Amino acid sequence: MRTFDAIVIGAGPGGYPCAIRLAQEGKKVAIVEKDKWGGVCLNVGCIPSKALIHASTQFHKMKHLDEMGISVSAPKLDMEKMQAWKGGVVKQLTQGVSGLLKMNGVTSLSGNAVFKDAHTLEISGSSGKETITAKDIVIATGSRVVEIPILKFNGKNVLDSTQALDLKKLPKQFLVIGGGFIGLEIGMAYAKLGSKVTIVEALDQLLATVEKELVQVVEKKMRELGMTVLTSTKALGLREKDPAKESLLHLEVETKEGKKTLEADAILVSVGRKPNSDGLGLEKIGVKLDSRGNILVDRQGKTGVAGVWAIGDVTGAPQLAHRATQDGLLVAANIGGEKAYKDYKTVPWAVFVDPEIATAGLSEKEAKEQGISYKVGKFPFAANGRALSTNEGQGFLKVLIDEKNESLIGVHIVGPEASNLIAEATLAIEMGATVEDLVRTIHTHPTLPEALPEAVELAFSKAIHVFKPKRA
Amino acid sequence: MNFKLPDIGEGIHEGEIVKWLVKQGEKVAADQPMVEVMTDKATVEIPSPVAGTIDTVFAKEGETIEVGKVLVVIREEGKAEVKKPEPPREAPVKTAPKEAAPVSREVTPIETDKSKAVPFGVLATPATRKLARDLDVDLGAVKGTGLHGRVTKEDVQMAAAGHEAAVPRPSHTAVSSTSMVPHTVQTTPAPQRGALQTIPLRGVRKKIAEAMQHSKRTAAHFTYVEEVDMSAVVALRASVLEEAKRRNVKLSYLPFIIKALIPCLQEFPYLNSSLDDEKEQIVLKGDYNIGIATDTPNGLIVPVIKNADQKNIWQLATEISVLAEKARTGKVGLEDLKGGTFTITNAGSIGGVFATPVINHPEVAILGVNAIRKRPVVKGDQIGIADMMFLSLSVDHRVVDGADAARFMNRMVFFLSEPTRLVFA
Repeated sequence: MRTFDAIVIGAGPGGYPCAIRLAQEGKKVAIVEKDKWGGVCLNVGCIPSKALIHASTQFHKMKHLDEMGISVSAPKLDMEKMQAWKGGVVKQLTQGVSGLLKMNGVTSLSGNAVFKDAHTLEISGSSGKETITAKDIVIATGSRVVEIPILKFNGKNVLDSTQALDLKKLPKQFLVIGGGFIGLEIGMAYAKLGSKVTIVEALDQLLATVEKELVQVVEKKMRELGMTVLTSTKALGLREKDPAKESLLHLEVETKEGKKTLEADAILVSVGRKPNSDGLGLEKIGVKLDSRGNILVDRQGKTGVAGVWAIGDVTGAPQLAHRATQDGLLVAANIGGEKAYKDYKTVPWAVFVDPEIATAGLSEKEAKEQGISYKVGKFPFAANGRALSTNEGQGFLKVLIDEKNESLIGVHIVGPEASNLIAEATLAIEMGATVEDLVRTIHTHPTLPEALPEAVELAFSKAIHVFKPKRA
Repeated sequence: MNFKLPDIGEGIHEGEIVKWLVKQGEKVAADQPMVEVMTDKATVEIPSPVAGTIDTVFAKEGETIEVGKVLVVIREEGKAEVKKPEPPREAPVKTAPKEAAPVSREVTPIETDKSKAVPFGVLATPATRKLARDLDVDLGAVKGTGLHGRVTKEDVQMAAAGHEAAVPRPSHTAVSSTSMVPHTVQTTPAPQRGALQTIPLRGVRKKIAEAMQHSKRTAAHFTYVEEVDMSAVVALRASVLEEAKRRNVKLSYLPFIIKALIPCLQEFPYLNSSLDDEKEQIVLKGDYNIGIATDTPNGLIVPVIKNADQKNIWQLATEISVLAEKARTGKVGLEDLKGGTFTITNAGSIGGVFATPVINHPEVAILGVNAIRKRPVVKGDQIGIADMMFLSLSVDHRVVDGADAARFMNRMVFFLSEPTRLVFA
């Protein structure tokens, strides 16, 4: 039986940084992965989806270069080649992860891990079984897609996000069940490549947690791409008994106006993810779960069972890679004897739709709930030189300023490069930057980040590039 | 068995876990030291009352726990499993599923409460927030000194100091003379240029801080200084150094000073008293237990020589060196620190003309013993050279008036300037 100082279960964006940091701190570390190094994020999530989104956007832009005086003959799509390129990106990154683990002296084990007791794991891999033990064990097993009974995944035309990202042939009619960020990102990408895309969402708004006015900007673009959005619509079931055998599927839905049948040659079901907390033997060691199966942890990542920690998606929302990474580093610090707590003000996030959406800090709703009185400044990218010169003048950057101490408490962006723009905003929020700090920091011209100080100025009716009459 | 933090001395309500000497799962013998606990009086080793295996440790190093709270669960040899105590904190998790999993023995409830998150509205950088965590400072309660109330690192450091002092727990033993510098201050290297190094106010340092502040806030201090010609004592000591060597005793001037002190205290019982602030009464003491303020690497502590009036020079000398050594190596027991009635602080061994000591509250007087130096003095109508020493006596004016302090000091001078007089004392 091999003994380690610490074992990490799961080599995703939470697990592998945790293992590397532990090794950097001089611990003898093992990491166990039952599937692919890098986890969902690198293999079938963030990275391949962004590659596909980028490629589809390039393809789409080619068709609209005319107004800039560039004429190209109609671009042709080679789906298989696009997928091969995407595969190369993924491979480069996952090999990088394996290499980093190795270089840092982390023992990598392939197999499924089950707790025997709080300090012992049984690993079942292709090469047999092995029992390993450690003082500290970190659960970083992530999450997986939720399947709905009426639309079981078949890998052919009823797809989860992994399969949908890996299509070798462009679907003519692509149906997305679930208007969350995964469904919208993939749906928009296929729309740009030429699919006729329909989004079916049970709630009355796409991206339910995002402020409505941001979503509206994206919805406008979706209409331009010829996409159909059906909100407050429930999927009832397929007409086909064995969908895998059919080339055209018919989905019954219940809309606000009544029942309808939608045609599709591929359906993506993206209605959420659930934690991989089952099959680990957690009940045996006393690790507690909430009603959804998320592992309950405290602000240090402790599960309550001495020596057992949990990080990332398996501990519940927000299911975001960068949050898992932060968790992983924090738990590594705590295992090393530090006293680290999750006391960040915000976990920023981005949706890679077109235009991108990104958010950090409080929404207006949250600010109201917390009883904070705030000012709003909203700067349209149509007034930003850089956005216009790249032909991306849609959307806006909105700031929330705490009226009491004039600090930045929330930033909501819909527009070009929102996912990158949010970084400065996040830093500003964490640092407790005030209006004065933000407007006295020089921003390069002409760039998109100029929108931030301008939005702040607008909260006080003083922006240079937007005229806003002062209130009486 | 559930082993609780025992009552380790009068007036001690809690202790800080300094170091665990045993680990979970480890076997312990009866009387084997398990843990080092620091109280406001001393650091003590607590032994296991039984032989067995350490099942669960309930307090982490650095944690403060109250007397009577379960410290550790020991599985006794040959005995059935004991019922474990309720976990130290209430389970805050309300979302836990009803069908509770069979719970392992190491499960403790977890704090998933988000209310302790950094509130928006507090302006502080992530680094400052980390510092607040490290120093156990509630950021929301700190008054920021920066623009718009920004909480700076310095604010957190101040709050850490202030917060701890804001919960006064008067120690009756720790004491300081203002001129005595703890070792820690001398031996800690200075931070790099431009850097700020923070040291949490903990342990002995914290106790000293609390005791000193309490004393200064409570007792109406004044200090009376007199000089005394120690030539006779110097000669007397020199005459017995050979014997001291033979007896293997380190003989300083302190035993002589204690010898002179006892008849003076007997003559002026108010200086060997304490003031009970609550009951508003002065308590005169029939015992003469003399505290000796001792410089240690962790700070100042005050071991007590019990019944000093009944001990001869050699016994006093031996006891002073033993206690001092124990204090310096952190081995001093609680018994050694209790029951003082009067304190002597010896700043003279380091330097200085004289110090103005802080009273070891609730005692009412402390005698500062200073350096013996050869000085020109007028004897009769001539100038001679003598071994001169200043004695500085700080007293609580609420109990002892200046005139009495002066009369007391006259008696000290009377005996020290001519130690043979002690024979008749």
